[in-house]
Amino acid sequence: MAPRTMNRDKIRFRASKLSARRRGLIIAVVGLALLATGCTQTESFHSAGDLARPVGMTHVLLMPPDISLAEVTAAGLLEPNAEWTEMARPHILNALREMLGERNAELVTYQEAPPDSEAFHAATQLVKLHNAVGQSIIIHKYAGGNALPTKEDKFDWSLGSRAARLRDDYGADYALFVYLRDSYASAGRVALVVIGALLGGYVPGGLQFGFASLVDLHTGDVVWFNLLVSETGDLRDAESAREACERLLDEFPL
Amino acid sequence: MTRRWGRALLPLILLAAASCVTPGGEPGALTDIAPGERPTLESDEAGLWMEVDRIENNLKTSGHIVRDPELNAYVRDIVCRLTTDYCEDLRIYIVQVPHFNAAMYPSGMMQVWTGLLLRAENEAQLAYVLGHEIGHYLRRHSIQQWRGVRGIADALVFVQIVAAAAGQGYLGYVAQLAALGSIFAFSREQEREADQIGFELMARAGYDAGEAGRIWEALIEEREAADDPERFIFFSTHPSSEERMETLDRLAGEYSGQAGLTKTNQDAFIDATRAFRTAWLRDEVRKRDHGGFQVVLDNLIEAGEGVGALHFFQGEMHRLRGDDGDESEAVAAYRRALEAGGAPAETHRSLGLLMWKAGELGEAGRAFEDYLAAAPEAEDRAMIDSYLRQIEGDQR
Ligand SMILES: [Zn+2]
Repeated sequence: MAPRTMNRDKIRFRASKLSARRRGLIIAVVGLALLATGCTQTESFHSAGDLARPVGMTHVLLMPPDISLAEVTAAGLLEPNAEWTEMARPHILNALREMLGERNAELVTYQEAPPDSEAFHAATQLVKLHNAVGQSIIIHKYAGGNALPTKEDKFDWSLGSRAARLRDDYGADYALFVYLRDSYASAGRVALVVIGALLGGYVPGGLQFGFASLVDLHTGDVVWFNLLVSETGDLRDAESAREACERLLDEFPL
Repeated sequence: MTRRWGRALLPLILLAAASCVTPGGEPGALTDIAPGERPTLESDEAGLWMEVDRIENNLKTSGHIVRDPELNAYVRDIVCRLTTDYCEDLRIYIVQVPHFNAAMYPSGMMQVWTGLLLRAENEAQLAYVLGHEIGHYLRRHSIQQWRGVRGIADALVFVQIVAAAAGQGYLGYVAQLAALGSIFAFSREQEREADQIGFELMARAGYDAGEAGRIWEALIEEREAADDPERFIFFSTHPSSEERMETLDRLAGEYSGQAGLTKTNQDAFIDATRAFRTAWLRDEVRKRDHGGFQVVLDNLIEAGEGVGALHFFQGEMHRLRGDDGDESEAVAAYRRALEAGGAPAETHRSLGLLMWKAGELGEAGRAFEDYLAAAPEAEDRAMIDSYLRQIEGDQR
């Protein structure tokens, strides 16, 4: 629960390549990036060409953000925390709503469909798909190694035609998908971080990790993507959550 | 860092995957969960439920869920007869996976894999497994495990640091072994508790408690015959020690004296699962575990239901393996299938392919014609027609 103490700093890494798509790999990427820099990074990608801006206000549908907050135990296990997650959710929703309002885009809030309804399943599936696509993007665009040749220079990821349903249901032009994980060191972990430092080693504490995509609901294409990795920040706090969202929407095209 | 995160995630994944995994705190230190109870928001248990809810929402959209309302109602009805009070709290998902497994998650999500439904001989055997899983839920085994793992891992990491700082690295290793030992001991204790509850629930519902040991025996027999015993998921989460068999025998002995515990509901079970068995057997063939599948088939053939289809799948197993002697075994199995009746139309097609390969053109042609007669709408009709023309040409 102790605040994390490293300086914030913005670093760019070159888009490069890798083949395997395992979750562990993403963790490795994030971990290596942090070890290399010890701080916060964001790096966004855009599809080629300008975004089609409808005349007047752009309507952006905010999909239910996939958020989970956890405590890092002394041994480094993650214990999910429901209370913290519920605390963070409104901060994140408010911050995103405000920020989009400032950008001449209107946020359309996703209507929570009744559990087990067809609309609920359709939305769950899209969020699940976004998580998978997001992880692929991280592996192919952020990690070192061999990218799929066709993905090397272009940015052409898509959630497919299913996204079009959202355009019809909500009258929105784009959908914003947000995935956020945040963790905080327990008292035991803080002790270990200190001991580690005294012994000249490095023991990581908590970690903020997230990504966001803007999806064109006419085509299903991911037109903008950003990765956030930070050892600072606290989503349980409104102001800090707003800062995290600002970093998450870095170079947001609208 | 990479490995640390890997390690950090793994226990969470394991924990989420089934409550039949590992250890924690003192067994029985927690009170049983009450009907309708939900953990309070600030508790560690609520965090666990939150993650499991995410898994459940994803599972709901999975293509592997068997959604047939009658089959779901049948399994649900057994659960509700085993535990009326908790019926509303348990959500059962039948998942199409060709392995013997059932899993209880802390939030009341229960998974029943089709490999279990194929292998159970009767309702009493299924009821034992369901009762066992209900036991994990009632006793809150998941959160106990989590607290135990967390406590042990925390203690271990400090012991290791102190040992390393003192230049006594081996002490850290000894501590690690001790920690692993206590984790496994706790896991066995939870399995014993779940077995005890499973037995009590099935006996209270009037089932023949001796059936519990029978499904376990069949499973051990299957593993011993398996091409790759490591792939037995149920055993990775349910350690199959002699100790465990002793528990089952002892419990069966205690309950066998009670009058009226004779119900197996075999007919009801077969009626409920009959329509799905061909699809589930097809999944089993694809596993290519010939040794294990042979045991499953032998047991099913002995039970005597749908024997024609069973012989067909036995033939498929041999044909797909294609070792020395497999082809003649396959032909014999197809013939038994056709004789017994009720075999799928593909039996003729598979027989035709093998006959053709063996140069028995006349028999091959007849088998393909029988196939088209039995399945006039077959998707591969055009291909079979071309086979027939080729055979006709070769015969001239
Ligand atoms: Zn178990």
